[in-house]
Amino acid sequence: MNLTARRPRSHGSVEAALGDAAERPAVRYEARHIKKAFGGALALDDVSVTFQPGEIHTLCGENGAGKSTLLKVMAGIHQPDAGEILLGGEPQQALTPRAAQLHGIYLVPQEPTLMSTLSALENLFVGILPRGRLPFAVDWKRMERSAGEFFAQVGLEVDPREPASALSIAQQQLLECARALAHRCNIIFFDEPTSPLTAREADVLFALMRQLRERDFTVGFISHRLDEVLEISDRITVLRDARVVTELEHHEATREKLVSAMVGHDIAVRQRRHRNLSSAETVLEVQALSEPARFSDVSFAVRRGEVLGLAGLVGSGRTEIAEAIFGLRPASGSVILAGKPLSHRSPASLIDAGLIYLSEDRGRNGIFAEVDLERNITAAIVPRLPRHGPLLRPGTEYEIAEQASQRTRVVARSLSASIKSLSGGNQQRAMFSRWLLAEPKVAIFDEPTRGVDVGAKDDIYEIIDEISDTGVAVLMISSELDELVFLCDRVLAIYEGRVVAEVVGDDITLTRLGTLIVGVRDP
Amino acid sequence: MSGIASPVEHQVIPAQPRRRDSRRSAALRLARRREPLLVVMTLAVFFLTTALEPSFDTSGNINFMLESAMPLAVLAVGQTMVCLVRGIDVSVAPILGIAAVSTGFLAQDDGSSYVLMLPLALAIGAGLGLVNGLFVTYARIPPIITTLGTLSVYGGIELSLVGSSAVQTLPNSYATLNTGTILPDISYLLVIGVVVMILAALFLWRTTIGRALYAVGNNVEAAFRAGIRVNAVLVSAYALTGLIAGLAGLVYLVYYRGAEGGSGITENLNLLSIAAVLIGGTTLTGGKGGVVGPFLASIFITVADEAVLVAGVNPDWQPAGVGVLLLLAIMLDRNQSGRRSLREVLLARHPKLPLTPPSEATP
Amino acid sequence: MSTLPHERARPRSLRRLDADQRWLAALVGILIAELLFFNFSISGFWSGSGSSGWLGTETFTYTSIIALGVMFVIFTGDIDLSVGALAGFSGIVMGELHLGGMNIWLAVVIALLVSAAVGVLQGLIITFFKLESLLVTLAGQFILGASSVAYEGAVPPSSFPHHFVRLLGTGTVVGVPNQLIIFAVLALLSVLIVHRTRFGRQLVLVGHNRDAAAYTGVRVSLTRVRAFTLSGLFAGIAGVIIAATFNSVTDYIGTPLLLPAITAVVLGGVNIFGGGGRVPGVIIATFILGLLTIGLLDDGVGNNATSMATGVLLLVALTVKGVMDRRLGLPSLGDRLRGRFPPAPPAGSPEVT
Repeated sequence: MNLTARRPRSHGSVEAALGDAAERPAVRYEARHIKKAFGGALALDDVSVTFQPGEIHTLCGENGAGKSTLLKVMAGIHQPDAGEILLGGEPQQALTPRAAQLHGIYLVPQEPTLMSTLSALENLFVGILPRGRLPFAVDWKRMERSAGEFFAQVGLEVDPREPASALSIAQQQLLECARALAHRCNIIFFDEPTSPLTAREADVLFALMRQLRERDFTVGFISHRLDEVLEISDRITVLRDARVVTELEHHEATREKLVSAMVGHDIAVRQRRHRNLSSAETVLEVQALSEPARFSDVSFAVRRGEVLGLAGLVGSGRTEIAEAIFGLRPASGSVILAGKPLSHRSPASLIDAGLIYLSEDRGRNGIFAEVDLERNITAAIVPRLPRHGPLLRPGTEYEIAEQASQRTRVVARSLSASIKSLSGGNQQRAMFSRWLLAEPKVAIFDEPTRGVDVGAKDDIYEIIDEISDTGVAVLMISSELDELVFLCDRVLAIYEGRVVAEVVGDDITLTRLGTLIVGVRDP
Repeated sequence: MSGIASPVEHQVIPAQPRRRDSRRSAALRLARRREPLLVVMTLAVFFLTTALEPSFDTSGNINFMLESAMPLAVLAVGQTMVCLVRGIDVSVAPILGIAAVSTGFLAQDDGSSYVLMLPLALAIGAGLGLVNGLFVTYARIPPIITTLGTLSVYGGIELSLVGSSAVQTLPNSYATLNTGTILPDISYLLVIGVVVMILAALFLWRTTIGRALYAVGNNVEAAFRAGIRVNAVLVSAYALTGLIAGLAGLVYLVYYRGAEGGSGITENLNLLSIAAVLIGGTTLTGGKGGVVGPFLASIFITVADEAVLVAGVNPDWQPAGVGVLLLLAIMLDRNQSGRRSLREVLLARHPKLPLTPPSEATP
Repeated sequence: MSTLPHERARPRSLRRLDADQRWLAALVGILIAELLFFNFSISGFWSGSGSSGWLGTETFTYTSIIALGVMFVIFTGDIDLSVGALAGFSGIVMGELHLGGMNIWLAVVIALLVSAAVGVLQGLIITFFKLESLLVTLAGQFILGASSVAYEGAVPPSSFPHHFVRLLGTGTVVGVPNQLIIFAVLALLSVLIVHRTRFGRQLVLVGHNRDAAAYTGVRVSLTRVRAFTLSGLFAGIAGVIIAATFNSVTDYIGTPLLLPAITAVVLGGVNIFGGGGRVPGVIIATFILGLLTIGLLDDGVGNNATSMATGVLLLVALTVKGVMDRRLGLPSLGDRLRGRFPPAPPAGSPEVT
């Protein structure tokens, strides 16, 4: 029974260990004309990027631009729908993560995928445990020796016997790098490693990346932080809307060029709505909302009929803020709905009080995949369904669901079709009809057009417009800046858990928002 | 912007493997483990009981307790294997029973020695365990339900093998094992049990398959991506549990000097083996633990049982006590409870992530 | 919505059959086949009373009631392994109280209250400490089983008042066994609870996707505790019925009932991971199993083999269901097992960044 793929050669000394990795010839790793779609949404559209050895090549772009998807395709985690991947000029077919590793390609993921209960030492070698004399025996001594050297190379200072769960995020990242080296990989990709790190920890990581570059490794890197990008990159490729927009070398890259490439100068096709809100009363008020390590001191207010946007990068804390308002996470501070403070918040009580939350992860906590459309739509108002005494009346329930689905123009064979058979756009329309049935006073929409095809997007924008017209206060979280531009009356920029700016009315532009969300202060 | 203002090259400080600290941290790690706690608890119960009843502390009695714990202890070692991969096996008792009864009858009727019976017991156990493994892995039935089903099937097989008779007389060689001692006061049975535990521990610690059990139990996706054949590992885990349960059947046979239709099931060995695993510090969420803990826990449970008897408690309430102990073990174990364990509730702690201070933009 | 016009007014029951309904149809077919088979193989099947006739419900009513109870818990995605032992314990409680001189009906009420309380307790421990229901109810089974033995004492309670035995045990009303009536009432209640109340609706939603249920305002913990309470209560009722049926209580009769109860639920089409299935399916399955038991016993097959047959049936039913689910594209149990905690987002939900 072959439970590990192959036997590594002896790792007896530093030189030998280094030598192993360095022995693998430095190669160019290219993606050509890659296309990749998830459901209806295009993540990569004719993307070609080349990673050269001895170079730190950074991918830059907004949320959803395609950066992470590209690296995942090149590491074998996703299969491209079209295009090819060439290693040293040779096309690679049907790459799997394991095959990629065997070819020397390693992706340090955004979230560490280590085995939490195993020691740091063992995590290094999972899958390639050094064997002893007997074929099934594990040679711990050799492992410990090699581990020490790999740890030293990446600057990881931990007791190798500590379980991986005891390591900090920074250390886990370094462990992943050590793992890459242990697997004799010389093409190493880092998927947004610096987001959870402190400045000091990021420094350590960059020093490591530079060392790798000196050794002719091929290094790929994703980051939003423009200063980092400018400092460390030899080459920068900017992606926007699933396409490569520009490629810059170190000496020609400036912050302005990066921002304008990331954000683009496209004029939003839709006209901005101008709402007269001068006399509108405040419906939702949030004061000093804080959750340690997630967000702090968030305060804002939303008025009747207003659409307030929350702009920010992934991980900036917007969803956490919304979840805290909705009672799904504990947070200090206060939330006041229609003048009444809500202290013990739970989704049930909030829905009753008129506040709803359409979550960003439809697949995981939005839809009930196996359940039919009708029941999905009525899910949030089960306590309010019409009944005779304790018994529900199915006939009227059907009518209610039907009317709701018509209001948002859900396209489906029938209400008894299970919701997972619907397209992403229709599923989202169904989600809207679910929440509209609750007759909210305040609606929080988190990434309302994620995973939704273009046609449905327009519909959803209309729905949001209509909703706010009826007087509902809308809080809208989106990573697609142009949505915020033409739907919102005001936008708050969230950076690393804090509200850093407020943009009103016609000041809301792509460029303005694009610079604010990466932490650049108002010029 | 993010605090990396100056483009000064930072030297990587080479890691100095912390030799000086490693001994201390190793000691700390040891202290955090369950095994020493179990030893302490067992000794505590033992000495408390001796205070009440001095005859508790005789070598004969100690030996008796240790010996009587062996069938359970070996069974618990077996149960550990599936628990490591997030499974559970409530059919181990009849597997033990079938092995005991089959080898028992052969020994009784043909006078076969236990050396001959060993491979038979192992084969029977492995085969029955394999069936479990196949259902769990390929038919994708949850382990609890699968083994609930096979529990009744194997239980039925055990009963029909025995019919109305029982294994009552065994060749003399078995008696030697039963009563003999290696050194004065250390019985053969105890040695057998310890040897099994050591072999199992070596397996888990020093073979690739053993390590694969931990990997698969901890994170199936990552194990799969690292190249481990997950399905093969899962099936092996169940076969292994069955194998060791078969061995436990032989141990049972030697200890009780016989076997009958309800062997294994009447002694509640299913639940006791699971209790031993949990009290022994191995979680059912997989990827963590070992065999030493369950082994020691089996001894603890046995000693505690006896102690309670001596203390005059109605023996009928004993299993209830084990159940409560089990419940407490579950509640106190922070690894098993989702987010809040009893300990955390009592101490009102919650894990805090490192706070990343928001950074100032450099103008 | 672009549904066809004539679809608009069509009530649920006439729409195209879904997977659950197809399973139900299959079960009905099996039941009919079984009845036919026994019609020809057992003489006096239709007229027979006692345990060999079709009305020999005494052999399986109590198991069926336990099945209905544990069904609620399985709908939410949990499991309750203590139901058999709890039924036994409830019988013992009632028996011992009566033995001590209490009025039998008062003893019944107390036994039911105790059973429900056990259910509440288990539910609270599971939800408050966020423990696996498997483990807690396993411990519960152990504790209850042992408590039954201990509480029973030397003499098993027996010889209950005649009216008690008649009403809950062997009596009939116009030829229909009382037990069948009791079961029918409980079955009807179960159907209504699960399919026609708000609680039932939320119960099923929790089983389908606990997180999504929380996001839609379902009080998940409360729902789960209620499910465990129902499971405990039904187990208690079963325990009392057992006492009436056999006119005695013993400590060992409860625990083995767990297997057939779960088999009935699973055979009835309820998804072991929660959410899917219909109560009528479970009701039919209890009859299928019950009649099977009667038939086997009548054939002289021992209790032992009957139990084995139940185990095999459980495994076969789940394997078949697993194969069918995978072919229909439903998430296979293995996929959900692998990501045991939230189910993986369906293909099509896009990546971030």
